[in-house]
Amino acid sequence: MKVKSLLIANRGEIAIRICETAKKMGIKTYGIKTPKEPNAYYLNFVDEVVDFSEDLEEIPEFLDVERLIEAAKTSKADAIHPGYGFLSENPYFAKRCEEEKILFIGPSADIIYKMGNKTIAKQLARKHNVPLLQGSHSNVRNPEEAVKIANKIGFPVILKAAAGGGGRGMRIVEKESQIEKMFRLATSEAEKAFNDGSVFIEKYVRNPKHIEFQVFGDKHGNYIHLGERECSIQRKHQKLLEEAPSSALNEALRAEMGEAAIRIAKSVKYFTAGTVEFLLDDDKNYYFMEMNTRIQVEHPVTEKITNLDLIELQIKTAAGEELPIKQEDVKLDGWAIECRINAEDVQAGFSPFLGVIEKVQFPKSKHIRIDTGISDKSVVTPYFDSMIAKLIVHSENREKAIQNTINALNKFWIKGIKTTIPFCKAVLSHPKFKKGDFNTSFIEKEMKEMFYKGENDELLAAFFATFNHAASLETDRSTFVDFEKGKNISPWVLNKRLKSL
Amino acid sequence: MDINGKLYKKFLERNAAYSQQHGSVGMKKQHSKGKLTARERLMLLFDSDTFNEIDAFTKTSPSESNFGKVVNAYGDGVIIGHGKISGRPAFAYSQDFTIMGGSLGSVHAKKIAKIQDMALKMGAPMIGIIDSGGARIQEGVASLAGYAGIFRRNVISSGVIPQISVIMGPAAGGAVYSPSITDFVFMTNKTSYMFVTGPNVVKEVLNEDVSFDELGGAEVHMKKSGVAHFVYEDEENTLLGVKKLLSYLPSNNMENPPTAEVYEEKLEPESALLEIVPDDPNKPYDIKDVIKHIVDRDTFFEISENYAQNIVVGFARLHGRTLGILANQPKVLAGTLDINSSVKGARFIRYCDSFNIPLLTLEDVPGFLPGLDQEHNGIIRHGAKLLYAYADATIPKITVILRKSYGGAYCVMNSKNLGGDFNFAWPTAEIAVMGPEGAVSILYRKELIESDDPVKLKKELAKRYRDEIANPYVADEKGYIDEVIDPALTRKKLISAFEALENKHVNSPARKHGNIPL
Amino acid sequence: MAEKKKNKELEFIAVSTKNNKYKVKNIFSEDLKINYKKFDFQIFDDENGFTYIKHKNKKYHAEILEKNQNKYEILLNGVSYSFSIETPFSYTRKRYLDKQKSKSKVEILQAPMPGKIIDVLVEPGAVVKNGETVIILEAMKMQNEITIQANGKVTKVHVKPNDTVNKDDILIEVNL
Repeated sequence: MKVKSLLIANRGEIAIRICETAKKMGIKTYGIKTPKEPNAYYLNFVDEVVDFSEDLEEIPEFLDVERLIEAAKTSKADAIHPGYGFLSENPYFAKRCEEEKILFIGPSADIIYKMGNKTIAKQLARKHNVPLLQGSHSNVRNPEEAVKIANKIGFPVILKAAAGGGGRGMRIVEKESQIEKMFRLATSEAEKAFNDGSVFIEKYVRNPKHIEFQVFGDKHGNYIHLGERECSIQRKHQKLLEEAPSSALNEALRAEMGEAAIRIAKSVKYFTAGTVEFLLDDDKNYYFMEMNTRIQVEHPVTEKITNLDLIELQIKTAAGEELPIKQEDVKLDGWAIECRINAEDVQAGFSPFLGVIEKVQFPKSKHIRIDTGISDKSVVTPYFDSMIAKLIVHSENREKAIQNTINALNKFWIKGIKTTIPFCKAVLSHPKFKKGDFNTSFIEKEMKEMFYKGENDELLAAFFATFNHAASLETDRSTFVDFEKGKNISPWVLNKRLKSL
Repeated sequence: MDINGKLYKKFLERNAAYSQQHGSVGMKKQHSKGKLTARERLMLLFDSDTFNEIDAFTKTSPSESNFGKVVNAYGDGVIIGHGKISGRPAFAYSQDFTIMGGSLGSVHAKKIAKIQDMALKMGAPMIGIIDSGGARIQEGVASLAGYAGIFRRNVISSGVIPQISVIMGPAAGGAVYSPSITDFVFMTNKTSYMFVTGPNVVKEVLNEDVSFDELGGAEVHMKKSGVAHFVYEDEENTLLGVKKLLSYLPSNNMENPPTAEVYEEKLEPESALLEIVPDDPNKPYDIKDVIKHIVDRDTFFEISENYAQNIVVGFARLHGRTLGILANQPKVLAGTLDINSSVKGARFIRYCDSFNIPLLTLEDVPGFLPGLDQEHNGIIRHGAKLLYAYADATIPKITVILRKSYGGAYCVMNSKNLGGDFNFAWPTAEIAVMGPEGAVSILYRKELIESDDPVKLKKELAKRYRDEIANPYVADEKGYIDEVIDPALTRKKLISAFEALENKHVNSPARKHGNIPL
Repeated sequence: MAEKKKNKELEFIAVSTKNNKYKVKNIFSEDLKINYKKFDFQIFDDENGFTYIKHKNKKYHAEILEKNQNKYEILLNGVSYSFSIETPFSYTRKRYLDKQKSKSKVEILQAPMPGKIIDVLVEPGAVVKNGETVIILEAMKMQNEITIQANGKVTKVHVKPNDTVNKDDILIEVNL
């Protein structure tokens, strides 16, 4: 089948990113307007707006399966693209699409279910000889059971939400005494985030690298991988800066891990875009973690080094087309870095920073790509995640990519809110990062300052504050207030005012 | 005159003695505590070289008994005088803590009374800088009588000339009542205190340990009691604040407020106003963002910004003219009216009315704050103050309804029939007896109980209610709203509306005074 | 004339939260000096509505994020700096009062962001160590562990689970 129209069940930059490819492919797009951000920037890019803003529902708009299905049916959209987050990895949503004969841009409900359930995913991996970490082979029911398994495989261990992703419902346990508290926290967080409180336990690798492989499959039994992405710069399991390729891999390891990733995909007859996540320890042992069955936030770095449009491939393979390329056609070219620009106060523990973006100025150059869902006067609301833009820089090698990214960040100005720009600069100028010597504990262990500050910066800020203060005192002093005018009262008023005394 | 003669010599001697008294010793004492001297404060308050002291050489009358120590110093612990503030005459007294702890004896009191009388006679602002240990114990009843005289003058001057109190040290016991009668109280954080009974007495009577700061520090009076209208971190900024406040006020109740030069004619539509107020009636926003976009740039000067924050009051300039602004703050308690905010609002309206300052009301109020606590503490009585103040005020009064305007709160907030001169509404306004959910539950109680899907029915009915009743158009068609305006044009509309009202005058029936529900 | 001369001699001290001092003299004149050294800055407003400082041929994006009386929060190249701008006299006063303050030893833990209290892990009387998690606060769908930055004894707990708090609300008081 050929996709003619597409409902985008997402917002922000990814909605815009999907529109771009859709436009290129001649697909009509429908976007959803929510009451939470009725003037959102992404609505300018869709061909037609489906208005969800009239009625407030209990369920958030992008999680309301039936409402979205209904919207697709009334607007006669052939397909739904879920983006990332929200319902992108919800098997029920995919199933409802299948039932309603709407094409879900992603794998089948069955595949999503299998890969989404980490216990099943691990069993599949084991069956197909993909290395795994030791742990519970299924969900852990209570703290006592957790203690038993933990003692068997040895501390530290990690508790993870079976339905999870994105760092929610994850807790590291260093010693036995903490396990009960952490179990409680992990289950309650998992319950909230995914409506499923089940957790499993596994050996915790200290300071691993987080390496993920982009894979594709089609419905005709073809599979490829597009190389890896290095996502080790994380804070509380939230990725903040990614690059492709990774300096930790050589050709042989890349090929080996790529094949392992493809074996995972094959095990479920995977089709469309997927990401296989591995942990890589200091001795270059890799362990399968999970497979994400959606397009990833950080997909642009892969696009840059492969010169492919992943959304296009995703839509095509979802619609049943054959993959247009073979593994040998995939050539990695140069180096790409992505910085996530989040509306967060880095200096206050990365807490969300809400407010109005008064002005924004993006850096411009041929090797710079900006994916963003904001523009001047956009509002950062508490309802959605804090990412407002992604800066992607592509250069011939890692060294140049780092320098070009720093230069780009210096020209990336946002007025009105605090962002992670100074943080990204700090990462990129850190000597260990430059050497490629880093892992997932980099932020916690290596970074003394979470933000980049030049030698004279505080002095300049002090000068700026003083200058403005002196100027405001000057304005107060020189504001000409005409007290005489107050005495010139019209005879009409004066007369009456006197009489009424 | 013979400048070497005896007469002139005596004059020079006295001056020298006086200078010495205000010299380094006392100055050091004050400075070491982070405080300025009484004289330095006056110098900062008044335009340079304009302050003239009077009664500099008064002395304590010889005491009848020798109880306690009497310091023989010129001025008796207070400086009084007159000068110009931003070019306009003003009168002031400043207590000197270095002389007998700034305590108030009969001579001290007489001096303050003298300057108060002058200010009233001249129709000029009166500023009191307070830094005093209270009534001078040695002088007994004479100092108490002195206080009473000051209070009476405060009351007589009230509503005739602006009276401002600046607390820069202790103000204890009876001394606190003079500031509380005056129009505005400034405090300097960490070095000023106000309380009726001090920590020692609290300890003796109630056996509670409480520090000066906890009992009557600037923070307490700014946030909890509402006694202090303005709090600054240091004395220089406090005095700058006094000057700034005065720039909005007329010298007396016969004058109109002063006009400032208009630097920029900002008349084009302000599209930001469309963004600030969310359509969703349950979403909060900061009303100060709205105010900022309506008034002249950087002219909003908020009063009591940390007290009863569900109402925002302050002065601003609109096209150069002073304007009083009273606005509900949806960010705090959803902008509901409670006891404290009603009283805060009412007092502000009374002030504006006394001094011919036009009043703008920005309304987004879901109603009065419900609850046992509010009812038992007399929200009826206190809410009535706000209503009374609005209805009683004869100044130009304009209301703009931004969003919610429900029930009794609609009536209170300067509605048309309460005496609003112009009542505007934005298209987002919801004017009704109550919010949609509540109204529907009452009107369709039976239908809702019997319905198979009450949630859905309720939502449909609420939508109908919004379409048919709770919108600005019904009120507009009935004349309770003069005009539904484009939010972006609010500033322009208000400028011309206030211009139209410039010569407003209302003849009130002859009476001694009304009986506001105090 | 006298007035003008006075303004020229204006002296300010910008004090950062970490107590770094910047003595700024002759702010509006060519002879601008910071900490007695001559500095060459220019402030520009560009056509896009950004303000930047030019110093040694480099551009620094600067904005006032918050202003309250003489307290400023500045964003310079996205990094926030807070200052109070003092005059020589008010600076002496500040130093004197800060000295007084350090005598009272109470650490107050405030909510770093608005959210809902999930769990309170300490009770009044509990002894806490620097870096210990005392409260779990849910914001932006994430559970955040709020840690105390002092050693001491908890005197007051102002919140309980399921309370919603605003930014800067006082959560816990600790006597050092």
